[in-house]
Amino acid sequence: MHYDGTSCNGCDIEVLASLAPRYDVERLGVINTGNPKHADIFLITGSMNDQNREVVQNIYEQMPDPKVVMAIGICATSGGIFSECYNVLGGVNKVLPVDIYVPGCAARPESIIDGVVKALKILEDKKHKLIEMKLGREAFVIEPATIEDAAEILALQKLAYQSEAELYNDFAFPPLMQTLPELKEDFKTVTFFKAVINGVIIGSVRGRMKDDTCYVYRRIVHPMYQNLGIGKKLMNDIEFHFGFASRFEVFTGHKSKRNINFYERLGYKMFKCEKVNDKRHRVYLEKSADRI
Amino acid sequence: MYLLSFLILFPLVTAFILLFLKNDKVRAIAITSAAVILSAGSIALLIINFHREAQYFSLEVPYIDKAIFFIETLLAGYIFYMGWKYKKYIISGLILAQFLITAVFETRYRHNIMVDHVLFVDKFSIIMTLIIGVIGSLICVYAIGYMKDYHSQHNKALKDNRRFFSFLMFVFLSAMFGIVFSNNLLWLYFFWEITTLSSFLLIGYNKTQEASNNAFKALEFNLLGGLAFLIGIIYLYRFYGVVELDKAVYLGKLGALVPVALISFAGLTKSAQMPFSSWLLGAMVAPTPVSALLHSSTMVKAGVYVILRFASVLQGSMLGFIIALIGGSTFLITSLIAISQNDAKKALAYSTIANLGLIVLCAGVGTYEAMWAAMLLIIFHAVTKCLLFLCVGAIEHRIHSRDIEDMSGLIISMPKISIMMQIGMVGMFLAPFGMLISKWAVLKALVDFNPLLAVFVIFGSSATLFFWVKWLGKIITVVNTEQDLEEGMSKIETIPLFILAFLTVGLCGLFPFVSTALIQPYVMEIYGTTLTMSQGNIVIMSIMLAMVMLFPLSFINYGKRVKVVDAYLGGANIETGTRFRGASGSIKNMAMKNYYMEKYFGEKKLYRFGILFCFIFMVFMFMVLVK
Amino acid sequence: MKIFLMIIAYIIFAPILGAVLSGLDRRVTARMQGRVGPPILQPLYDVLKLMQKDSLVVRRSQNFYIAFFLMFIIFTGALFFSGKDLLLVIFALTLAEIFFVLGGYKASSPYSIIGSQRAMIQMMAYEPIVILAAVGMYMVTKSFYITDIISYNKPLCYYLPGLLFAFIYILTMKFSKSPFDLAYSHHAHQELVKGMTTEFSGRSLAMIEVAHWYENILLLGFVWLFFANNILIGVALTLLVYFFTILVDNTFARVKWEMALLSTWIVGLVFGVGNIIVLFFVKR
Repeated sequence: MHYDGTSCNGCDIEVLASLAPRYDVERLGVINTGNPKHADIFLITGSMNDQNREVVQNIYEQMPDPKVVMAIGICATSGGIFSECYNVLGGVNKVLPVDIYVPGCAARPESIIDGVVKALKILEDKKHKLIEMKLGREAFVIEPATIEDAAEILALQKLAYQSEAELYNDFAFPPLMQTLPELKEDFKTVTFFKAVINGVIIGSVRGRMKDDTCYVYRRIVHPMYQNLGIGKKLMNDIEFHFGFASRFEVFTGHKSKRNINFYERLGYKMFKCEKVNDKRHRVYLEKSADRI
Repeated sequence: MYLLSFLILFPLVTAFILLFLKNDKVRAIAITSAAVILSAGSIALLIINFHREAQYFSLEVPYIDKAIFFIETLLAGYIFYMGWKYKKYIISGLILAQFLITAVFETRYRHNIMVDHVLFVDKFSIIMTLIIGVIGSLICVYAIGYMKDYHSQHNKALKDNRRFFSFLMFVFLSAMFGIVFSNNLLWLYFFWEITTLSSFLLIGYNKTQEASNNAFKALEFNLLGGLAFLIGIIYLYRFYGVVELDKAVYLGKLGALVPVALISFAGLTKSAQMPFSSWLLGAMVAPTPVSALLHSSTMVKAGVYVILRFASVLQGSMLGFIIALIGGSTFLITSLIAISQNDAKKALAYSTIANLGLIVLCAGVGTYEAMWAAMLLIIFHAVTKCLLFLCVGAIEHRIHSRDIEDMSGLIISMPKISIMMQIGMVGMFLAPFGMLISKWAVLKALVDFNPLLAVFVIFGSSATLFFWVKWLGKIITVVNTEQDLEEGMSKIETIPLFILAFLTVGLCGLFPFVSTALIQPYVMEIYGTTLTMSQGNIVIMSIMLAMVMLFPLSFINYGKRVKVVDAYLGGANIETGTRFRGASGSIKNMAMKNYYMEKYFGEKKLYRFGILFCFIFMVFMFMVLVK
Repeated sequence: MKIFLMIIAYIIFAPILGAVLSGLDRRVTARMQGRVGPPILQPLYDVLKLMQKDSLVVRRSQNFYIAFFLMFIIFTGALFFSGKDLLLVIFALTLAEIFFVLGGYKASSPYSIIGSQRAMIQMMAYEPIVILAAVGMYMVTKSFYITDIISYNKPLCYYLPGLLFAFIYILTMKFSKSPFDLAYSHHAHQELVKGMTTEFSGRSLAMIEVAHWYENILLLGFVWLFFANNILIGVALTLLVYFFTILVDNTFARVKWEMALLSTWIVGLVFGVGNIIVLFFVKR
C-alpha cells in the first residue's frame, strides 16, 4: 500500500519504477494494492504534516496485523530538507511506528527493493510473534500489581482508551490525561491487578472500597488481546478479592455498548445515567454481592 | 357443488355485512373470521376433490340469468353515468356498446340457449381457489391493519371509507371465485366485469386527481377487453351454438379460433400485457392491499387463467405463436424497464407484468411442458409477489417513502420485515426457490418447441437478476446506526406476512408434492402426458435449499473474532467512519446510490418500443383471424 | 461410486490446479510485459499468508456471505464434475456469485457497492450467453445432462462455433480480465480500489481467492465441454483458450460498462442466437 505524504513525487516514481520491468519487485511476490485491508506493507513517501497525519493513521488502522511500515526517501525518514518548515511535522516516525527506513533523494529502486526484502523478513518475524502470542494466550496470569508496574500500566491505559476516546471524539478524557505521579498516588488507596503474558503486562483493573461498596474501574486490556476472556477474569479476580463488599459499582460511557453488554453479562444492572460533558454521558451499573 | 356456491356467495354476503358494520373492531373480527372460513373452504375443496377428475354441475335456479342481466344493466348504467360525468366519453361509448350487444343478445337468443353445465371444478380451478381463498384472505386481514394506518397517518383529510373498502374487497373475492368456477361463458363474463368495476372503484379510493385518472384508464382498457370477450361469446353462439367453456375449448381444437382469439385478447388486457400495460402501472396509486390483491396475485391472474384454459387450442397454431410473442416481448421489455425504476411499487408492477408475460408465453406455446411451467409460475408468483407487495406496504408506512434509495439499512431498523422481504425477493429469481424452478421449466418447455422464444426468456431473466439483486443489496447495506422502526406493528399486519414468507419457503421445499398432487394430474387430463422433474434434480434442489437455509444460522456466532474498522474512504475517514474529510476540510457524508441507467432502460424509451412491437403483433393476430 | 470419487477429486485437486493456473497467469502476464514475474505457486503462498492475518470488517456479518460463496462454488463444481444437469449448474453458479455480490453490498462501503453493482452488470451481460450455450448443447445432444454431452460422438465445437466464440468473448468477463474487468479486477484499482473485495481481509480474502480458483476450474470445464469428445485434445484446447484470454487481457484496455453490456449482448444475439437459429433449421 503506497501513500504519498508531502512528496515531490520523485520517490513515488522510483517506487513505480520498481514495479516496472527493469526492477520488477513482483518476482518477490510483492504487488501494489491500493487497499489497506489487503496490504501488509505500508510504503510512505514524503513527510507528515497536519493534514495527512489523520489520513496516515486511518490507513494504518485499516491494515490488518501483522504489518510493517516503510519510510521511503529522506523526507519520509526525517523530513529531509523540509524538516524545518513550519508546516512539516517531520518524518513518518512522528506519527507511526516505522520498521524500515530507506533514505535517499530520490531513493533508488535497488534500495527500495532491498528495503522491501528486509521488510519481508520483519514481517515474518512479526507473524511468528503473533502466532506465539496467540498460542501463548492460554498462559496469562493475573496477580496484584505493585507500584513498579505503574509506568507500564499507564502506557497500557493510554493505548487501550484510544478506542473509547475515538468513540466520543473526546481526547481530553481523564484516562488519557492521567500522569505518572497521579497514578503512583493512586497505588496508595486503590488495589491494582495486572494480567501478564511472558512478563509483559497486557491487562489491568483497579478497585477501591468505600463504605460497603467496591468501585471497580479502569478495566483495560491490550487491543491485541481483547475478546479472549482476560477482561472477564480480571473482573472475577477483583470481585473475589473484595468479597466482603456487599455491592459493586462500575461505570462506562453511554455509547460503549460492548462494555455495557459485558457488565450486564456479569450480572450488573444499570441504575443511573449522568452527563459528564457535552460529548459524554456516564452510565453506572451495579451488582449486589450475593449475585457473584 | 354446494361448496362452490358457498365459496361464491359467502364473500358476497360478508361484503354486505361489512358495509353496514360501523365499529372498526367488530369489522376487524368479522373480516378475520371470514378470512379463516374462506381459507378453510378453499382447503376443503382441495381435500374433497383431491382424487377426483374434473366435475361439471348444472344448476337449476329460476330467473338467475334474468337477475344477472338486471345487475349488469344497473352496473352499465352506473359506469355510463360516471363516464359521462367525468367526460371520459370512450368509457361511456364502450359500456354503451357492451350494453346494447348484451341487451340484443338477451332478448333475441336467451330462450334458445341450452346450457348443460354452468359450474365446474378441476385441478386448475382448485389451484386458483387456493390462491384466491388463502392468499386473498390473508391480504384482507393485512388490509385491516394497513388501512387503519393509512387513514391515521397519511390522508387525514380523506373520508374514512373503510367499510366500502372491505365491501369491495370481498365482492371482488366473490367475483374471482365466480370466474374460476364458471363454465357458462356468460356468467364468466359477468364476474369478469364485476372485477373490472371493483378494480375501478378501488384504484380511485383516495379520490385524488391522479387516482381517479388512473382508475378511468384501468376501466377503459378493461372495458375494451370486456367488449372483446362479449363479441367472442356472441360469435361462438352465432356460429357454433354454444356458450360453455369446455365446449369452446373442444371446438377450438377443431378449428374455431376466432372466439378463442377474442377471449384471449380480453385476457391480455386484463393481465396488462403490452400494449395495454399502462393501466397496471397507474393502478399503483391505490393502497397496497389493492395492489397486492388485484394487481398482482388475483385479478391479473384471471386474465392469464382464461388464456391458459385455451392453451391446448393454441398449441401449434399461428395464433398461439403470436400470443407467445406478445408475452415474450412483454417479459423482456418490462424486465429491462424495471431496472430503471426506483419507485418500489412501480418496480414490482413491472415485475408482475413481466411474469404475466412469461405465463402468456407458455399459454401461447401450449405444449404440456409449457402448461406445467405456467401452472408453477402462477402458484409461485402469486405467493411471492403478494409477500413483496405487503412488505413494501408495511415499509412505506414506516419510512414514509416508496423510493428504493431510502430503504438502505432496513435490516437494522426493521429486521423482521426486511428478512421477509429478502425471502420474497430471493424467491423471485434465485435457485432453488420457486420462480427459478418455474423459469427453468419454461426454458425446458421452450427448447423443445422453439428455441427462438427462449431468447426472450433468457435475456429477460438476466435483466430481472440485476434489479432484484440491486434492491436486495440496498436493504442489507447499513450506513448509519438506524433506530428501530418496527415498534407498534400490529400483529394483524405481521401475521399474514409471516404466513406468506413461510409459504414461499415451504412451497418450494414441498414443490415436488405440489407438482404431483395438483399440476401433473391437470396436465395429464388435458394432454394425456405430463412432465415432471427428475428425481435426481429434486434431491439436488433440496440440498441447495437446505444449504441456503443454513445462512440464518450463521448469525449465531455473530462476528466474534473480527475487528470492526471503517470502510476505506481513501484514508479520509473521520469520527463515525461514515463521514470523511472533503475538499477544504469540509465534512461530508458517505452516500451510495444504485445504478438506474435511465438513459438505456428508461421507461419512456423502452415503453414506446414495447408498445410498437406488441401493437404490430396484435395486428398480425387479427390478420390471421381474418384469414 | 465413480461420481463420489469425481467429487472428492474435484474438491481436493481443483484449488491446487486453480492456484497453479492463476500463478501461470501472473507469470505469463509478467513475461509478456518483459518482467520476470512471481513464482508459479505465488497464489498459494498468498493464500497461506492471508490465513494468518487479522480479519478486519466493516459490518460484522459480511464474512458470512463469503463463506457461503465458497460453499456454493464448491457445491456447483461438484455438481458439474459429477455430470448433472447443466442448467442447474448454471443456476447454482449464479446463486454462488450472488452471495459474493451481497457480501460486497453488506460491507457498506462506496467502493464495494460500486464493485457489486458493476459485477451485477457483468452478470447481466454474460448470463444470456452462458444459458444460450447450454441451450445450444441441448439442441445438439438432446440432453442437458453433462454425462450425455460429454459422450456425444462428435466434438460440439463443430456444431456450435458461434456459441463457442460468444462464450470465449465473455470468458474474459468471468475471469475478470481486460477488456471486461469492470468490477473487481486487480488492475482497476485506481478507479474502483478493489471493488467488491475492498473491505475483506485475512481469512475471508483467502476464501474469496480459493473460491475463484474453484470457479476458474469450473469455467474451464465448461469450455472443455465444447471439445469434450477427445479428453486430451479437449484439455489442451481448453488451456489454449485460457492462454488466449491472458493474451487478450494484456492487449486490450478496459471498456466502459455500457460498451461491455451492449457489445456482449450484440455478440450474444448475432453469434449465439444466430448459431441456434442455424441449428434449428438444420435439425428440422
